[in-house]
Amino acid sequence: MSLSPRAKAAWRRCLTNPRVVTGGVIIGLMAVMAVLAPWLAPHDPQEQDLLATLLPPMWSAGGEGRFPFGTDTLGRCIASRLMYGARIALYVAVVAATGAMILGTLLAIVAAYFGGWVDWLISRAIEVWMAFPPVVLALILLVGLGAGVNKVILAIIVIDWTRFCRVIRSEALVVMVRDYIAAAKLAGFSHRQIMLKEMLPAVLPLVITMMSIEMGIAVIVEAIMSFVGLSVEPDVPAWGVMIADARQTMHQAPWGVVLPVGAIFLAVLAFNLLGDGLRRALDTRLVLGRAEAA
Amino acid sequence: MAFLTLQLLFRRLVLAIPILLCVSALVFAILRLLPADPVGMSLPPGATAADYEKLKQAFGLDRPLFEQYLIWLGKLLSGDLGGSIFFRRPVNELIARALPATLELVSAGFALGVIIGGAGGLAMFAMRGGAGEHALDGATTIMMAIPEFLWAILLILFVGVSLQLLPFIGRLGPGIQLPPPVTGFLLVDSVLTGRWDSLRSALLHLILPATALAIGLAPLVMRVLRSSLLETVQDDYITQARLRGVSERRILLRHALPNAALPAISLIGVQGGFMFGGTVLVEMIFAYPGIGNLMVDAVRNHDLPVIQAVALVYCVLVLGINAVVDVAYMAVNPRLRLAGSR
Repeated sequence: MSLSPRAKAAWRRCLTNPRVVTGGVIIGLMAVMAVLAPWLAPHDPQEQDLLATLLPPMWSAGGEGRFPFGTDTLGRCIASRLMYGARIALYVAVVAATGAMILGTLLAIVAAYFGGWVDWLISRAIEVWMAFPPVVLALILLVGLGAGVNKVILAIIVIDWTRFCRVIRSEALVVMVRDYIAAAKLAGFSHRQIMLKEMLPAVLPLVITMMSIEMGIAVIVEAIMSFVGLSVEPDVPAWGVMIADARQTMHQAPWGVVLPVGAIFLAVLAFNLLGDGLRRALDTRLVLGRAEAA
Repeated sequence: MAFLTLQLLFRRLVLAIPILLCVSALVFAILRLLPADPVGMSLPPGATAADYEKLKQAFGLDRPLFEQYLIWLGKLLSGDLGGSIFFRRPVNELIARALPATLELVSAGFALGVIIGGAGGLAMFAMRGGAGEHALDGATTIMMAIPEFLWAILLILFVGVSLQLLPFIGRLGPGIQLPPPVTGFLLVDSVLTGRWDSLRSALLHLILPATALAIGLAPLVMRVLRSSLLETVQDDYITQARLRGVSERRILLRHALPNAALPAISLIGVQGGFMFGGTVLVEMIFAYPGIGNLMVDAVRNHDLPVIQAVALVYCVLVLGINAVVDVAYMAVNPRLRLAGSR
């Protein structure tokens, strides 16, 4: 696929932006760790060593080299569990954010293109969705759908399409009045052609930027839901589960809580940096919930 | 002016009614997807099929879905939220007891977030271009990368457990009697009845959860305020004030801030709504007896009447705060105020 000169320049700006590079490298390393977890992890994440419970990390007094980050209440290796936890986090981040992005962008373009009652309907739906605090809507959905990591993904898609839809709809409305859309209409392009070939590329930089931020949000939502026990099966190591387990013993073993919190922090930070860098490099006016005017 | 503001508020609240109806229908429909069986779960062991049917009828779960919704809505409008399946109490009573706690917590978190955010935004602006701005900017990045519920846990770990500075369980210390209920708001009741011991304890118990909530709001306010101040000071009237010899400090606080605050206020409105969502986990983690904790308990026990009612209460709160902030925004923005009265 050959890129236009403008697209090439945009690529170059992205790849030289320090935020994009930092965020990208952190996510890349995490992804490598997640994929290679079965080979890199020192232990099986479920393997218990009841003679070595609540060990501190290897660099503090009483730590052992075979458990680099120490162990939890059941003597399971925290380092290994963090690596396997990255699999869940990144899986949810990629799938849920992609889903919300596709649904939200599609509806946004359809709303802007057709206008009239279609736009009215989609806009009212967004208003209804916005009345819910997202966590509350997620809890209700998971009560309705039942627990499970794929249900969490579905819930994120069902909730967060509005984030994309709101922002991209207003961008698409701006695109709609451009001359080349009128030209495409006159040239007899089909609705689908105009929406996919003309409008979608115009809003794509914004979509890419929001996608990165959304992945960070998805990591947080998955952590919340596995913390309350509505996401993965109890025996699957997810970061939220690790925090919930270690919370009981955090006065003796603070590392059990601090390390998974650190992992979530690092992942979210990386996605935020990436999104922020992309926004600057691609020069998109992104208004996050009217928030990020900065 | 005051009358106009009230009129605007009333109009906004009326507009919220159809949204609320859709919200209630949505909540109702989602919860009926439920694979679990709340009737079976609330039966004692050894119950017969007849008991099952009887209970199902008592809960109204044997009727068609649409009819169930209308019955629920009708009762809702007459102020009856039904009975909790798990707690075996009227839902009204549960919410009446928990809601003041949440409102107290959110008000404290909101106030703290606005204060930290406002002060931080001013500080970032005052130190623009310097190392101080970079440090604060880095701090906002870190604050935003950790969600409220993890801040809650970190605060408990460092301030509560390690340093043992502040309490982190519930609303009151052990051995302290609740003040006699007047309004249901612990702080207000303590003051009204002169119970300074419970006021002190309640305030101390509020600090950590309110801080966890405030950290969600403060960095956004900081960033928006900073950038809108940067824009505002380029306006002509600021230059004029400077030429008239007004002090920089006065220009910032009297001339620039009131105008630059507008985007921050509209942001606070949206985020204030989100803050109610943040209370769900923060309350659970601090064992704070508000509606968030009630929601988590209800979710774990598939207590549909409670889940439905609490979800609606949350939506009412979000829509309410959005309306209030919109109107406040109009009231402080002279341009919109004129446009609204015409």
